[in-house]
Amino acid sequence: MLNFLKQVGDYARESVQAAKYIGQGLSVTFDHMSRRPITVQYPYEKLILSERYRGRIHFEFDKCIACEVCVRVCPINLPVVDWEFDKGTKKKELKHYSIDFGVCIFCGNCVEYCPTNCLSMTEEYELAAYDRHELNYDSVAMGRLPYKVTQDPMVTPLRELAYLPKGVMDPHDLPAGSRRAGKLPQEILAETQPRNGDTDQN
Amino acid sequence: MTLAEGVQLVSFGLLAAMMIGTALGVVLLSNIVYSAFLLGGVFISIAGLYLLLNAGFVAAAQVLVYVGAVNVLILFGIMLVNKQEDFKVIPRAWIGKAATGAVCVGLFALLTTMVLGTPWALSSATPVGDGATVLIGIHLFSDFLLPFELASVLLLMALVGAIILARREYIPDEPVEASVSDALTLPERPRDLVSAGKSDN
Amino acid sequence: MSQGIDLQDSFIQLLVQLGLPTGLAKALWLPLPMTLMLISATVSIFVTVWLERKISAAAQQRIGPEYAGPLGTLQAAADGVKLLFKEDIVPAQADSILFTLGPAIVVIPVFFSLLIVPFGQHMVITDLGIGIFLWIAMSSVTPIGLLMSGYSSNNKYSLLGGLRAAAQSISYEIPLALSVLAIVMMSNSLSTIDIVQQQSGYGILGWNIWRQPVGFLIFWIAALAECERLPFDLPEAEEELVAGYQTEYTGMKFGLFYVGSYVNLVLSALIFAILYLGGWESPISVDWLASILGISDTVPWLQVVTASLGIMMTVLKAYLLVFLAVLLRWTVPRVRIDQLLDLGWKFLLPIALVNLLLTAGLKIAFPFAFGG
Repeated sequence: MLNFLKQVGDYARESVQAAKYIGQGLSVTFDHMSRRPITVQYPYEKLILSERYRGRIHFEFDKCIACEVCVRVCPINLPVVDWEFDKGTKKKELKHYSIDFGVCIFCGNCVEYCPTNCLSMTEEYELAAYDRHELNYDSVAMGRLPYKVTQDPMVTPLRELAYLPKGVMDPHDLPAGSRRAGKLPQEILAETQPRNGDTDQN
Repeated sequence: MTLAEGVQLVSFGLLAAMMIGTALGVVLLSNIVYSAFLLGGVFISIAGLYLLLNAGFVAAAQVLVYVGAVNVLILFGIMLVNKQEDFKVIPRAWIGKAATGAVCVGLFALLTTMVLGTPWALSSATPVGDGATVLIGIHLFSDFLLPFELASVLLLMALVGAIILARREYIPDEPVEASVSDALTLPERPRDLVSAGKSDN
Repeated sequence: MSQGIDLQDSFIQLLVQLGLPTGLAKALWLPLPMTLMLISATVSIFVTVWLERKISAAAQQRIGPEYAGPLGTLQAAADGVKLLFKEDIVPAQADSILFTLGPAIVVIPVFFSLLIVPFGQHMVITDLGIGIFLWIAMSSVTPIGLLMSGYSSNNKYSLLGGLRAAAQSISYEIPLALSVLAIVMMSNSLSTIDIVQQQSGYGILGWNIWRQPVGFLIFWIAALAECERLPFDLPEAEEELVAGYQTEYTGMKFGLFYVGSYVNLVLSALIFAILYLGGWESPISVDWLASILGISDTVPWLQVVTASLGIMMTVLKAYLLVFLAVLLRWTVPRVRIDQLLDLGWKFLLPIALVNLLLTAGLKIAFPFAFGG
């Protein structure tokens, strides 16, 4: 009998607990309703991407020495480097270079290891195409620079959360010249530079 | 004839035709699922007839119990049974059908003569209409208390039986030793009764 | 007790004064409230769909529909037009008769139940004696349509979804009916008008929600399950059953399921408002205010104000509950089928029975508070 009563009591307590948790959940959902939408209305508004954004890869044909480091460091040996050895100059002459962005995972290894910095990451992420073969970019296509979001008259550029002033959550209608929270990289650099000089002298 | 009488006559005709049509469909169609769905139609038309007789509560109860519960359970039964049997042509099947038909026609004739021959005592009292709910309640707890209680006991027994059938998880393929008398027990896997209630956790 | 405004009487009297026979005047009146109810039910779908989208968006910090009409109010209409123009496909191996009949059987009982929803003393299509019982009986017909569409689609997901829907509907009908029964016992009547009347007079304090604190929870859980709203939307669980019994449907037949589910949600909310939140009664009783201010309740303008306030109150309460349902949708995860049946049979049913017994006991002990 006592055991049964204990079971009933436990069951009742668990039910009350469940009800309490559902109530807590409801209050969380309700609280979210009073927050501002974080929606970026995409074709009309776009986020300004961070400096380290890894978008479509840019390639400078003239800098390339056809060393094929990019191919070696690529997880799937994706870049296609077509060169011919020029006996006269005793140098490799690059003829074609292409990367298939339908397969690329944008890991950035090729950019990291390129000895002549002829590869770099852009901010372009709008790579939709009607045919997957269109994503196979050759050196000319990769040499194009994407249009900057901040310069596009059709687009309202929005700052990402980390680039907003302190305490501001809404990227809309920021006052001109408002700077982000914390120090900028060049400021940190400027602060650390003289001290480095001191240590060198000592 | 007033508007109300006209509406009543037309709806009676429609409901009667619907009821007979669906009932014939239940019996005559070869697809059992159609029969089950048409059975729902029969129940609905009967409920409609109750409505015409000013018995709204009975009509709603008819829909709730027969359409909402009985018919749905029949459908459940049909859809959950996954037994396929090839259709075998039985020789001289027409004898059975003819015999059934004869019996049915005979029963129908018998009932018709009975209905036509009985001097029905038609009550001239006005139907209670919406007061029926109260009246049914009073009757159930005074005149018909015993049948009411018996019916509830019967339902309880059916419930217990269903639970026992549902809890039986394992039936051995070969019969258990005949020496042990198990006339009144169902073959069942022995299990811990205390943990039974908590097995779903 | 004021009689309030009686449109039917006034309408018939007006026509009789114009020289029409009484029978014809009544026949002319009959289709009016039904048409009005059908139209308002259809409009309520648009409102509910819009609310659902907007509240869902707000709960997830999105914007929601924005470009179709002001604040996206025409989005539901756009969706409906799209569904109307879609090709009506019946799968090759499906049973075309049952396939077509299924959605209709799902929708018709829901609209039928709107007969008994009152918006005021005389603002109801019919004041049936069986009132709320009609709703319970009608909502038990819906599983037949679900089984029909599930079976006829000739698709295992559809069949499973249909069977789940029917099982869920049957199991939650019982706690629902039991919690309604407790209310009926307190108001001594099945009629929705009487149920509201019994709660009137004391403003917000007289509402049944204070007398049935457990009953209204049971009712709301069971009603959500009946409507297949999100914690209980297993019959159409996308992750498991593609879309349940709706898998093979397109075009307006698919639309009918949605019409049915949204009208059912609004209907359940309306019924909840009538049973537990005092129907058309305002939180502060209008009669009481009028008597304090010394206005007779036969003054025409007061009657008009009371009637329109009553309609507004009923709709407002119902949409408050719709809001709660949408909020619950984004709070509570979907239950498993065994949890669903556990909750129905092992939790709600016993508690509903105990609640019924308690109500009966309290009714005998305190007849003044729990209906004599």
